Amino acid sequence: MKRLHTLMFGWEYPPIHLGGLGVACQGLVRGLMSNGVKVTLVLPNPDAEREGDLDVLYPTEEMLNHVHIESILSPYDTFDSYGMRIHTIPAGRQHIYGADLGEAVAQYTAASVEMTKDVHPDVVHCHDWMTYEAAARAAKYHAKPLVAHIHATELDRTHFHPNEWIYNRELKGFTMADKIIAVSNYTKNILVKHYGISPHKIHVVHNGGTFPVAETSHKMHSQYGYKKQPMVLFLGRMALQKGPYQFLDMAAKVHASRSDVQFVMAGDGDMLGGLIDESVRLGLKDSIIFAGKVTNGEAQKLFSQADCFVMPSLSEPFGLVALEAVAQGTPVIISKQSGVSEVISHGFAVDFWDTAKMADCVLTILRDDALAQQLSSEASRVVTQLTWEHQAMAVRSLYHNILHT
Amino acid sequence: MHPHICLYFQVHQPYRLDDLRTTDVGQHKPYFDTQKNHDIFRKVAEKCYLPANKLMLELLEKHAHFSIAYSLSGVFLEQCEEFGQDVLDSFMKLAATGKVEFLAETYYHSLSSMHSLPEFCEQVAMHSEKISDLFGVQPRVFRNTELIFNNEIAHIARMMGFVGILAEGADHLLHGRSPNEPYVPPEFYLPEETHWNIIKKNFPNAHPAEKIHVLLKNYKLSDDVAFRFSDKSWIGYPLKAETFTDWVMSSGGHNINLFMDYETFGEHQWEDTGIFEFLRALPQVWEERGIRALTPSAILEDWKHNTNQAIGIAPKEREHVGRDISSILEALSAIWKRPAHVPSPMTYREQEFDAHLPVSWADTERDLSAWEGNRIQDASLEAIYEMEEAVKATGDPVLITEWRKLQTSDHFYYMCTKYWSDGDVHKYFSPYDSPYEAYRRFSHAIHDLRSRLS
Repeated sequence: MKRLHTLMFGWEYPPIHLGGLGVACQGLVRGLMSNGVKVTLVLPNPDAEREGDLDVLYPTEEMLNHVHIESILSPYDTFDSYGMRIHTIPAGRQHIYGADLGEAVAQYTAASVEMTKDVHPDVVHCHDWMTYEAAARAAKYHAKPLVAHIHATELDRTHFHPNEWIYNRELKGFTMADKIIAVSNYTKNILVKHYGISPHKIHVVHNGGTFPVAETSHKMHSQYGYKKQPMVLFLGRMALQKGPYQFLDMAAKVHASRSDVQFVMAGDGDMLGGLIDESVRLGLKDSIIFAGKVTNGEAQKLFSQADCFVMPSLSEPFGLVALEAVAQGTPVIISKQSGVSEVISHGFAVDFWDTAKMADCVLTILRDDALAQQLSSEASRVVTQLTWEHQAMAVRSLYHNILHT
Repeated sequence: MHPHICLYFQVHQPYRLDDLRTTDVGQHKPYFDTQKNHDIFRKVAEKCYLPANKLMLELLEKHAHFSIAYSLSGVFLEQCEEFGQDVLDSFMKLAATGKVEFLAETYYHSLSSMHSLPEFCEQVAMHSEKISDLFGVQPRVFRNTELIFNNEIAHIARMMGFVGILAEGADHLLHGRSPNEPYVPPEFYLPEETHWNIIKKNFPNAHPAEKIHVLLKNYKLSDDVAFRFSDKSWIGYPLKAETFTDWVMSSGGHNINLFMDYETFGEHQWEDTGIFEFLRALPQVWEERGIRALTPSAILEDWKHNTNQAIGIAPKEREHVGRDISSILEALSAIWKRPAHVPSPMTYREQEFDAHLPVSWADTERDLSAWEGNRIQDASLEAIYEMEEAVKATGDPVLITEWRKLQTSDHFYYMCTKYWSDGDVHKYFSPYDSPYEAYRRFSHAIHDLRSRLS
């Protein structure tokens, strides 16, 4: 049997990535390859981690000579934060998440056919709005079906106040695609409800991951009689979408009942300053630590030290970070407005606005050891099932279905 | 000789907990969500209780050889009084036909049989009293919560005066034998002093029974109706009364016990599945085939007649039994001093159902793992039963009642995490988002209750 060949248009990809998109994209590429699918990956830059027989294509200077666009956008920003974005992106990376993302998207799009003309794929697959137009052109050129993968919509990032230009590019991509892969039913519902896409066109494939397993549980402390100060963790970008203000609200409510609880907010973002002010206003000055951006190793350590992890996202297409917490045996309280709540059954799922309930879940976990231990021991099983190798099988089946119907 | 049918339906609704918060602990707010309990009760009343009772009444009046049994939990009856006098009235009408037997159970549909003998006895006595108040008949057959059964419970029930007890016809205890005849528990003595002293304080019946028979649920045929009826992937779908009766007849034996939740009719199996038509057709088909549907007591009477077995207290001992406890004790010491079951060589040798470990009708495991075993269930059970003494010492009837309502088995069932990820029946039955939510609400109630003790 001929080996399936997918021509994949990605945007960020390790080692150059800012958010979950790059991680998910790499996971899927690896998963597909391990399922015997040949992958040709198109990226805006040549720096991707190579492995196996992965082909990576990117636009050369020569191809880019003729395009010019003004807008500055990133998948994690709104117009308001352009200035911030330019300053916060490391100089060496500005050429891909550009000082001008719009221009980079346009260049990438313009070069898409040129880059891929020697490839002979069975299917074209693309990730989020930056790549949709490029992939659509390539699909048309190769006369192959187009699969649009949606990791996060503009509505998630802006709490339903979208930038129209991006929204329209997303909508166009969804319309042109033969099939859409959504990372959760939550996202599928957004596409149906807010983009008017037929549910029959959308397939849900939850993200997978490879999670480091906890070495020792923090529960060991109480076993040896060492009573540490309870700690409640937030980890994510300090951006509207992630619900950092909801976390502070929750923290204030917990603090009112138990002043011994420590809160840690890890991550950076344009809201950090305002959050610090708010935490002072709420009287949490001595109970909260803003840890800034943390490395993977530091994140793991925080998870293992935390008594519970709270993810109060306003709209979270998936929310891999909650699975990372669960892998460390940390009880989680997650927003019902998230995709990951569909796969984590051993945890509390609460509406993001219901910070009183969130606080109550935290307090119950801190008060009742039986509950904390039950959550800790049950929840982590899900991460052993949710591998990219397994999730990519669903993507491969989808390819087969498109090609044989 | 065709087998008899024994139909028993469980009727129960728990008091679901309100969304309590840690900040409510110590405030002595109500623990239960009256609105939700009302809404669920009315929904099930309209979908199941009222239409099913109407149909049952029609069938009982029409078919001479058709009788049924119910076990109505005490908390269900209280909710009837609170939310559905119409439902209670319809059960009264059924009772008035004289063809309905009401079984005994723990008033609070609790797991007290596994945790506290005194509490268990009190709840059984309370329930028997409630049933006899409402329906004018003292129950003679006992059905423990979720058919939880072991040898000890059988003998305790016997000492409480019950002549029959219901149990799951679990394969691992039947060892290939048919569930279709009454069994007896193995002979053994309970620790006499402690147990008797506890039991005699709560004596629902005037005297112990000489022996007790175990009626075993035929789970294959019962579950064909209760679980598989509307399953389109099931080979038996769609199930007709004639086909089902064929299966019943070929199953053979003395009595086929079809035990199920009453909510099967209209609630678990919706009306549009044809479950009511199926039920309506059964007595007619049975009548045509010469099959009779008997109550559990009638099954045992018939069994006695056929096997020459003495059922209930021996007439000789009965003469001596007076109303005062001392004369009862005197008469009974003779009974305890010999094994429960002494077959004479001339009579049919009854088969033993030996449940050394508890069995139930729940889940595929048929054990207690639906209610206990994970940390949150065990912590909750421990918490509720460890405060028994302190709660009772208050003598405060309101507090004692609240404590008892928290013993209802459903609270622990909702906390089950066995197959939680796979969307199993626990999820279907739970009014809460998750086992953890069930625990959170329960734990707050327990903490509040504890604060009321000090």
